[in-house]
Amino acid sequence: MKKTILGELEELVLLVVAASTEDVYGVPVMDELQRLTGRNFTISAIHTTLYRLEEKGFLSSSLGGATTERGGRRKRLFAVTASGGRVLLEIQQMRQQLWQAIPERKFQLLGI
Amino acid sequence: MSKQPNPTESSDAVGSPNQVEPPRWADRLLTWFVAPHLLEYVQGDLHEAFHRQVPQVGLVRAQRAYVRSVLSCLTPFFYRRRPNEYPSPTNLAMLTNYLKIAWRTLRKQQGFTIINIFGLAVGLACCMLIMLYVLDELSFDRYNAKADRIYRVQSDIKFGGNDMHFAAAPDPLGPTLKKDYPQVEQFVRLHQRGTWLVKRAGETTNLREANITFADSTLFDVFTLPFVSGDPKRALAEPNSVVISESAAKRHFGNQNPIGQPMVFENTKIFKVSGVMRDMPQNSHFHSDFFLSMRNDDYPWGQWLSINHHTYILLKPGQAGAPTDPAVFAKNFDTILKKYVGPQAMQVLGTSMEQFQKAGNQVKFWLLPLTDIHLHSKQQVELAPNGDIQYVYIFSAVALFILLIACINFMNLATARSANRAKEVGVRKVMGSERQQLIGQFMTESVLTTLLAMILACGMVVLALPSFNTIAGKQMSIVQLVSPYYLPLLIALPIVVGLLAGSYPAFFLSSFQPIKVLKGGTAFRNINRSFKSADLRSGLVVFQFMMSVVLIVGTIIVYRQITYIQTKNVGFKRDQLLTVNGVYSLGKQAETFKQEVMRLPGVVSGSISGFLPTPSNRNDMAFFAEGESSRNKGVNMQTWGVDYDYIKTLAMQLVQGRDFSRAFGADSSGIILNEAAVKVLGFKDPIGKRVWRFDDPQGKTQKTYTIIGIVKNFHFESLRRNIGALSLVLDANSGAASFRLSSTNLPTLMKEVEARWKQLAPDQPFSYQFMDDSFDEMYRAEQRVGTIALTFAALAILIACLGLFGLAAFMAEQRTKEIGVRKVLGASVGSIIGLLSKDFLKLVLISIVIASPIAWYAMGQWLEDFAYKIDIEWWMFLLAGLLAVGIALLTVSFQSVKAALMNPVKSLRSE
Repeated sequence: MKKTILGELEELVLLVVAASTEDVYGVPVMDELQRLTGRNFTISAIHTTLYRLEEKGFLSSSLGGATTERGGRRKRLFAVTASGGRVLLEIQQMRQQLWQAIPERKFQLLGI
Repeated sequence: MSKQPNPTESSDAVGSPNQVEPPRWADRLLTWFVAPHLLEYVQGDLHEAFHRQVPQVGLVRAQRAYVRSVLSCLTPFFYRRRPNEYPSPTNLAMLTNYLKIAWRTLRKQQGFTIINIFGLAVGLACCMLIMLYVLDELSFDRYNAKADRIYRVQSDIKFGGNDMHFAAAPDPLGPTLKKDYPQVEQFVRLHQRGTWLVKRAGETTNLREANITFADSTLFDVFTLPFVSGDPKRALAEPNSVVISESAAKRHFGNQNPIGQPMVFENTKIFKVSGVMRDMPQNSHFHSDFFLSMRNDDYPWGQWLSINHHTYILLKPGQAGAPTDPAVFAKNFDTILKKYVGPQAMQVLGTSMEQFQKAGNQVKFWLLPLTDIHLHSKQQVELAPNGDIQYVYIFSAVALFILLIACINFMNLATARSANRAKEVGVRKVMGSERQQLIGQFMTESVLTTLLAMILACGMVVLALPSFNTIAGKQMSIVQLVSPYYLPLLIALPIVVGLLAGSYPAFFLSSFQPIKVLKGGTAFRNINRSFKSADLRSGLVVFQFMMSVVLIVGTIIVYRQITYIQTKNVGFKRDQLLTVNGVYSLGKQAETFKQEVMRLPGVVSGSISGFLPTPSNRNDMAFFAEGESSRNKGVNMQTWGVDYDYIKTLAMQLVQGRDFSRAFGADSSGIILNEAAVKVLGFKDPIGKRVWRFDDPQGKTQKTYTIIGIVKNFHFESLRRNIGALSLVLDANSGAASFRLSSTNLPTLMKEVEARWKQLAPDQPFSYQFMDDSFDEMYRAEQRVGTIALTFAALAILIACLGLFGLAAFMAEQRTKEIGVRKVLGASVGSIIGLLSKDFLKLVLISIVIASPIAWYAMGQWLEDFAYKIDIEWWMFLLAGLLAVGIALLTVSFQSVKAALMNPVKSLRSE
């Protein structure tokens, strides 16, 4: 159970990778996150998160092709694994439960 | 899962080069620290992001962003290496393996090993000895449990053009401080009375005892002086009581219990032993075997204007255990000056404190922490000669130098041998050794060498300690080597030195790329050159010799200064001058003794006087020129009571006027001044002028003298000081008798003199000195520095030469074939020696050039301490340089001659 604990950034990165239609690597993940959250992420943060998720078994990686932009360097492409998908579902369910538990009038009381 | 790279993508990658590049250095940095297995992807992503940014924000900002992202990668995640797939053997197993291999390597190359171990051992031994010395110097007075709260009151006095700094204070100051200020927990005053005659009551024979000291009963509250028997609280409270040391008890009472026994001092004063204390520790700034109760000191008490008592105060602990701030406390001295000193000055001098100060005079009291006394105090009338922090620094630096030179040898030889070991490294790496393991192996080797050296060094220290003690004037024992202060240092030293000396070779050797070194021949020479190891070696050799040359120059200058001091004309003749101490114990028979001795053959003249021109505790007295109305314009002068034959016996020179003479009845009010005194008094034509002084402490009566002669300035203090004002008056004061001798048969003569003494005073100890001996005594410190400098300079050069020797041997070995070919082609032995020596000589010459200004500056600083000193001359550097070159040449030539004489058939046969 412990392994399934995800940090906020980890969860976001995992979601971004899951949401993309094909395998992705560091830069696109960073771009997507920036677009969605409006926050600035450093590439090092993205990399650490990606590799940590891989260590936890939520992502798998493979070597990808190189482009000119990269000076001929290869990419490490990431894809969501089955356990990665499962942990995302678990999180979603847990959140769902919590959402449902919120009394309706709460938000009204708060004036939202 | 994995996707094959798109073929078009990758071909595109190799195809077109980029126009814009991220900052080169940032890229390099990244390559350097990011773990290899991550590098490609991380760098790729960074570059991609960079290239995408350039059109958006411009090159400069993109570059800046790139640097930022590189720096943000400086986290453990990026530089952590992936653990090895194949686990290495356990550390312990590896360590035994390292040790085994290290031992074999050491044995295989015995020559180098011996040079290394011996050089390091000498370095370590020097370091250990000096560490002992330095720790001992730093430990002074720290045996006192309350050391951090004890302060000595010092007095700085400016009066009559004399600037005086006393280690003592007026006698009422201590009690007043205790009475007026609650911060003062306790005070104690010491009054040293020099050497006295001491015996048990009822005995007839006296012993001469040095350092008889009067002390307040509070002595044992302030200083930690443990008692063997007796009660420290009451020991000195009773009048006429004395506390003696254990060894003094042994001398006077043997195995008997001395408590309650009366003792006789100076044949007249009887004190009862009230306590026996342990002998005072060696590392104390004062020593005494007899502490007499202060109340019985026949001293005119309550004098604020005479400074005679060494006063120590114990400040109360302030907030949070910290002692009361002495700087803050010292402000109270202004109040003391106004309240107590001022009124008495008014009474004696007839002027108020303000007027006194306005005339340029000054009285100032200040506090010196007890633990600073030994190394930092340079006051007059110290209780005993102090050490000097300067010498602690100098010696520490020298120890460090020597150790550094030894370490450099180690590194140098290891680097030089790298050619031979490169193949080993290559093979090991090919066989799967990792760099860390290789580093471990080389480190083990160097630590092992250092440990062996350390064992040897310990042996050297044990052997050298007695002579080192003699040179340094200390009594350190081998037991101190295992004291809790020293032991950790002793253990840490070889490990630190081993790691330090081994680090460069270890990292250098383990960095070899197997492919390059195993290809052999030219390839290796290329990597050797690329590492600039030759340059580094040269640099290290230059550094070693630079330090050696500095030490040689230092030694030359110290020795010149000592010779200068010893041969300087001090204004009187100090050879063939015998002084007999304690003549006052003969009482009225002193004059008889003088006459008797003078009748002996070989004695030219004799004199009895209060003082001799060797440093001792004396009092200055204020003199006033006749007609001088202001009592602020006094001139402080030493006044020595002498007899009619004093100037003649000491062979001093009169510049003007005449000597004391029996032919003139009025000479009892005559005075002879030295040139310095005339200068301060400001007399143009001094003969016949009058001076006067107060005849009593209250300043009620005056005594007037007529100047009858001027004696040429003579040195009566250390040459560190300028000659002060001095006056001679006729007086029956009889501290010592001095005799000018012409005899060469001193042993017989001395026996005769002693026989005369024993005749007149069978119970008084006979003690004598020759003036040149007491003169040398003054400069013991300098002589010590000289001997230590010489020893260590010699050792430093020895170690440096050991290194050079090894290096030359190696070079000769490397070039054996070259030499063989040269010889076959007809090169002369001389030319080959030149070939091999030239490189080293160049290095030594460079080191001389670098060392000279350093030595010049450092020695200039040392000489600053002397009022009378030699000039630093060019030939000193030349001599040092020639010495260094000569020694280096001798060292190298041994190897080059050997190489040059070798039969080329031997070296070339294998080709």
